[in-house]
Amino acid sequence: MATALETVKDYTGSEYKYGFTTPVEEERFPPGLDEDVVRRLSAIKREPAWLTEWRVAALRRWQTMTLPDWQKPTFPPIDFQAISYYAAPKQKERPKSLDEIDPEIRRTYDKLGIPIREQEILAGVAVDYVFDSVSVATTFKKKLEELGVVFCSISEAVQEHPELVRKYLGSVVPPGDNFFAALNSAVFSDGSFVYVPKGVRCPMELSTYFRINAAGTGQFERTLIIADEGSYVSYLEGCTAPMRDENQLHAAVVELVALDDAEIKYSTVQNWYPGDKDGKGGIYNFVTKRGACRGRRSKISWTQVETGSAITWKYPSCILQGDDSVGEFYSVAVTNNHQQADTGTKMIHIGKRTRSRIVSKGISAGRSDNTYRGLVRILKSAEGARNHTQCDSMLIGEHCGAHTVPYIEVHNRTARCEHEATTSKISEDQLFYCRQRGISEEDAVALIVNGFCREVMNELPMEFAVEARKLLGISLEGSVG
Amino acid sequence: MLAIKRTRRLDPDPAFAATFRALAPRLPGSADAALARVRAEGFERFAALGIPTRRDEAWKFTDVARIANRPMRPAAPVELPLERVLPYLLGGPRARRLVFVDGRLQPQWSHTGGLPEGVIVESLARAAETRPVALAEALAGLDDGRSFTALNAAFADSGAWIELPAGVVLDAPLQLLFVATGGEPPVMSHPRCILRLGDGASLSLLETHVGLGEGAALGNAVLQLALGPGARLEHDRLELLGPASALLAKLDGSLAAGARYRQTTVVLGGALVRNEHEVRIDGPGVECLLSGVAVPSRGEEADTFVRIHHRAGGSHSDQFFKSVVEAGGHNAFAGKIIVHKGAQKTNAYQKNDNLLLSDDSEVDTKPELEIYADDVKCSHGATCGELDAAALFYLRARGIGAETARALLIHAFAAEVIGRLGDPTARALAEQRLLARLGGGLDPALAASVIGEAA
Repeated sequence: MATALETVKDYTGSEYKYGFTTPVEEERFPPGLDEDVVRRLSAIKREPAWLTEWRVAALRRWQTMTLPDWQKPTFPPIDFQAISYYAAPKQKERPKSLDEIDPEIRRTYDKLGIPIREQEILAGVAVDYVFDSVSVATTFKKKLEELGVVFCSISEAVQEHPELVRKYLGSVVPPGDNFFAALNSAVFSDGSFVYVPKGVRCPMELSTYFRINAAGTGQFERTLIIADEGSYVSYLEGCTAPMRDENQLHAAVVELVALDDAEIKYSTVQNWYPGDKDGKGGIYNFVTKRGACRGRRSKISWTQVETGSAITWKYPSCILQGDDSVGEFYSVAVTNNHQQADTGTKMIHIGKRTRSRIVSKGISAGRSDNTYRGLVRILKSAEGARNHTQCDSMLIGEHCGAHTVPYIEVHNRTARCEHEATTSKISEDQLFYCRQRGISEEDAVALIVNGFCREVMNELPMEFAVEARKLLGISLEGSVG
Repeated sequence: MLAIKRTRRLDPDPAFAATFRALAPRLPGSADAALARVRAEGFERFAALGIPTRRDEAWKFTDVARIANRPMRPAAPVELPLERVLPYLLGGPRARRLVFVDGRLQPQWSHTGGLPEGVIVESLARAAETRPVALAEALAGLDDGRSFTALNAAFADSGAWIELPAGVVLDAPLQLLFVATGGEPPVMSHPRCILRLGDGASLSLLETHVGLGEGAALGNAVLQLALGPGARLEHDRLELLGPASALLAKLDGSLAAGARYRQTTVVLGGALVRNEHEVRIDGPGVECLLSGVAVPSRGEEADTFVRIHHRAGGSHSDQFFKSVVEAGGHNAFAGKIIVHKGAQKTNAYQKNDNLLLSDDSEVDTKPELEIYADDVKCSHGATCGELDAAALFYLRARGIGAETARALLIHAFAAEVIGRLGDPTARALAEQRLLARLGGGLDPALAASVIGEAA
């Protein structure tokens, strides 16, 4: 058995391969946060007055708030005044076409395996790239425009679709929702904006790639997706960051709104730098993600594969307001070395016959801690609501921890809730069975881990599923010993 | 209200301090300096900890301050006729028992004769005289950061000291019966029981909390268990309280290698009944089985809080809790299995099933796992729903009336736990109370056949 697990270490012996930095000239604010910083940021982005005031109000709210302390991960106090709240690749103007993008940035994305051009043509995925804090390119815009789909950076949306932004921004995650949401509301620099008009089925997957490049910065992006009546959109996000000894903060807010009969599928492969094997450095991924199923028969589905970050702390949630609306959450969280993850979901059932499904797979290795924390709340109005939750944990090695903290609150008698959870290790029988059939130990472990996560992987769009499977293996590097 | 929501602790009502000052000289063992000091320290600790609010994670689901943070009085002696207590004298003719009414021992109904040599069964007041140092140590020895435990250390008035030396098997059950009469202001009592079983000793314990009448009362009980290697304890608990009385019961247990602890708790009545369990498994081969059922209705709240620490590997724990919630009742369950580092080969299970029968009722459940060892098998499950329509239809199709069918199904659901009560008299009483609650003209013979199958 020991040898089997050692093999995991050997074969995944590669280091974090996205840990390079890109030497681009950048423009940034000195560290610190006050009203002046927020106003300057807003001015740079030429935002309307209402948004500036919205930000300032969020900042004031944030200043009265304290960091929560109920979470499982522990981390040294964060000095919010030591962070620079704006860093952007220097550029005179926004590139008019993809060819005008800074070649260094182009090379970065090539190294990450997403050649902008190629992806555009071959995969047919429309991608928005967010480099540090600003969006650098949005591909496939024209094609989408023909259908009336708006896919652009949120800064652009503020200029071009102010009525939509004003109507929906903060309507799902209000600025005062929590400490990090308030911070984000005050200083968010960019992010993606999607609007899918009535009855339109978005013909391609929309995707955002997030990259933290600059040192001493945080990334505070804001994503807003609105699916109008009867529309459908599938959205992917991926992220990487350079290897650094310091911890960098990533505090994003994602808001989804689905109106009548609309469906949003949101997939994440999160591979921020996790820190080195002694737990030095890495990203603090403190993100608020929430979707509102406002309309009848609307559906929001979250799928996440979380392999990166020193600390992952987020709960992509669904507010099931419309009758017959559906919320789904599929998650694989892998932690190794000194990583900590505290993730899960909230399903708030308000409308009649609302349904939710939660499948969470946690894999802990090394000295990491992996927590599933979730809430299923069924309000009195949620006649006939239904929930099924399954959380499985796998432990690799004896120094890691796996924890499950589900909350189930039911106020309606016709509701049915089921929750099950298991904890286990890679079974020796399964390994032996594979070995006996000539499968090498390393492949056997990969096979078993992938099998354990299959239910979630199946939910990922094809291109992502391939990447996610590879990531799983790499993340378990050095997991035994 | 806003202030309550925001703080995790409230300052205790000033009446507590006044009552403590007045009562301290009359509490058991007040003449002993060490005991008096432990009590004073307990009270200080309580005042410092304050009363938890729902902002306190451990009390997230129930608002205890509503019931426990108000002026209360210690009990005055009450004369009760035997027939009021008679239905609660359990364990059969050979049972030994200690009966307390509002925190006072009732010697006329208590007897502990014929104990084997070396066995100690005495009331707390008696223990305060015979072994003040040991009692002071026991009171001071449990500081779990819980304000009601500290409050109990300060006020401990009733309860028992029970000790079985190695190898002793007590052939007849031992009953601890706590009766609350209640009144206004509410009457409080603070039972503290210390139970120690030596190597291989065996005991069957019946713990009964009963509320008589409509008056308000608060029982704040603490039970400290220590089971030596290979010791066995069967623990049946019936909590049958009045609509205005509350019970906060804390169990702190440590189980040595090979010990076997089985507990079954049945909660039928009480404005707020909170059962807290903190059990440490300190060796291999331990079996710890906790089960319970609560049937809160008409604004009643039942709250079960469990922490099982697997500090050594190779042991087995099982939690099995159910609730039937109707007519504005509220049931909460927060159970946690903690497998400590190195506790390999642990098997731990947890199950919480809830039957929700009306729209003004509420069920909250939080089954938690916290695991730091890889070679373990741990799982939990929780369900919540109403009666199965197909099962109801099945019974109706066979000519059983709607009310009876409903009662039969609910009864069968609860019977799975009631059937686990080890003592037949306790089972019969629980059964009778459950049927009274369900109404619906359920034939006791029919019910009994179901119970028979479940058991």
